[in-house]
Amino acid sequence: MNTGHKHTGDGDDHKAAPMVEEITDYEVLEIAVRELAIEHGLFTAEDHRRFTEWAESVGPAAGSRLVAKAWTDPAFKARVLEDGTTACKEIGIDWAEPTGVGTPSDYTNFLVLEDTPTLHHVIVCTLCSCYPRPLLGMSPEWYRSTNYRRRLVRWPREVLAEFGLILPPEVEIRIEDSNQKCRFMVLPVRPEGTDDWTEEQLAAIVTRDCMIGVALPRPGRTADVHPIRKAGRPVERSPQEGSAAE
Amino acid sequence: MSVTNDVDLSRIALLEAVHHQGKEWDVIAPRYGVSNPDPPWKTSLIGMCECLAVGGSLPALDRRRAEDELGDTVYIEVPAPERELLALVHVMLNRGLVVERDLASRMRTVRLRLQAL
Repeated sequence: MNTGHKHTGDGDDHKAAPMVEEITDYEVLEIAVRELAIEHGLFTAEDHRRFTEWAESVGPAAGSRLVAKAWTDPAFKARVLEDGTTACKEIGIDWAEPTGVGTPSDYTNFLVLEDTPTLHHVIVCTLCSCYPRPLLGMSPEWYRSTNYRRRLVRWPREVLAEFGLILPPEVEIRIEDSNQKCRFMVLPVRPEGTDDWTEEQLAAIVTRDCMIGVALPRPGRTADVHPIRKAGRPVERSPQEGSAAE
Repeated sequence: MSVTNDVDLSRIALLEAVHHQGKEWDVIAPRYGVSNPDPPWKTSLIGMCECLAVGGSLPALDRRRAEDELGDTVYIEVPAPERELLALVHVMLNRGLVVERDLASRMRTVRLRLQAL
C-alpha cells in the first residue's frame, strides 16, 4: 500500500510538531501547588486524574439532548429560554456543582439563543476561548483561533460562508460574545422533514457546529465534517504522477 | 492589607516573581511555532479546581469571586489561563491551604526534577 509517506533509513519525512522547549514558572507552579495539595490531603491524585480526563473528554452530546428536548417539549423550551442555567438541570447538567458533568470553572450565567427563520445566532469569544463546556465539551481549535474570533464579528456572512453556511440577506445574523460571566448556545430552527422524529433521532442531527451557529441541522447530517470537494478544473498531471497519488 | 469581599488583594512576592518573568503562553508559544492556544498544564489546572471544590476546601463560587477580584486588580495584566492559575494559588495561600515558603521550596524541587537529564 502506498501511503504517500517517505520513510528512509535516517528517519522519515515527518517533522516533529513544534513544542515549547523551555520550562516556565507557570508550569512549575501548577505542579508544585498540586503536589502540596495532594500531600495535605485536599484531594487525591486519582481524583485529579479523573477530573482532568473529564475536561479533556467531555463532548457535545448534552447540548444535542437539550436542543432535541426543546424542539419536542414547548414547556421545556420556554424554561430553557427563560433560565438556561436552571433548565440544564433537567438534562443532568448542573453548572454550579462539580458533579463530573458540570464544572466549577464554567460556573456562569448560561443563555440559550433561539433562532427563527429570519434571525440566526452565532457564538464567539473575541477575547479568549470562553465556551459552554458542560454542554458542548471542549471547544474546537478553530473556535479558539484568532482567525475566527477576529473576523466573525466583522464579516459574519463571509466567515459563515467559509463553513459552507450561506444565509440569504433577509436573515439577520446576531453574534454573541461569550465571556467569563456569560456563556451562550444556539437553539437552531427545527428542520423540515423531522415532524415524527424521536428526541434521539433529532439529537443526532444537532451537531456541535449547529449549536455554535456555523451550521444548520438537517436530516442526514450527523457529523461536523467538511468534505473537500474535488476541483472542477484540476491542475494537469502526468499519468505517472496520477497513479502514484491514488 | 487590602481586602474586598473576603479576598485579600495584597501582592504575594512568590507569585509576583512568576508573572513578572513574562513567560505567558501567548508570548512564548509563537516563539517556538506552537499554535496550540492553551499551555499543556491548563486541563490539569481545571482538574485541580474541580478537586478543591468537590473536597470542600475551596468552593467554586468562592474561587470564581476571587478570580474576578484578583483578575481586575492584582493580575489585571496577566492573560488567561495564567491569571486563573495565579488567582487560584493566591487564594490557596490566603486561606492557608498551602504556605508560601513551602510552595517556593517545592517549586525549586519541581524545576530541578523537570530539568534533570
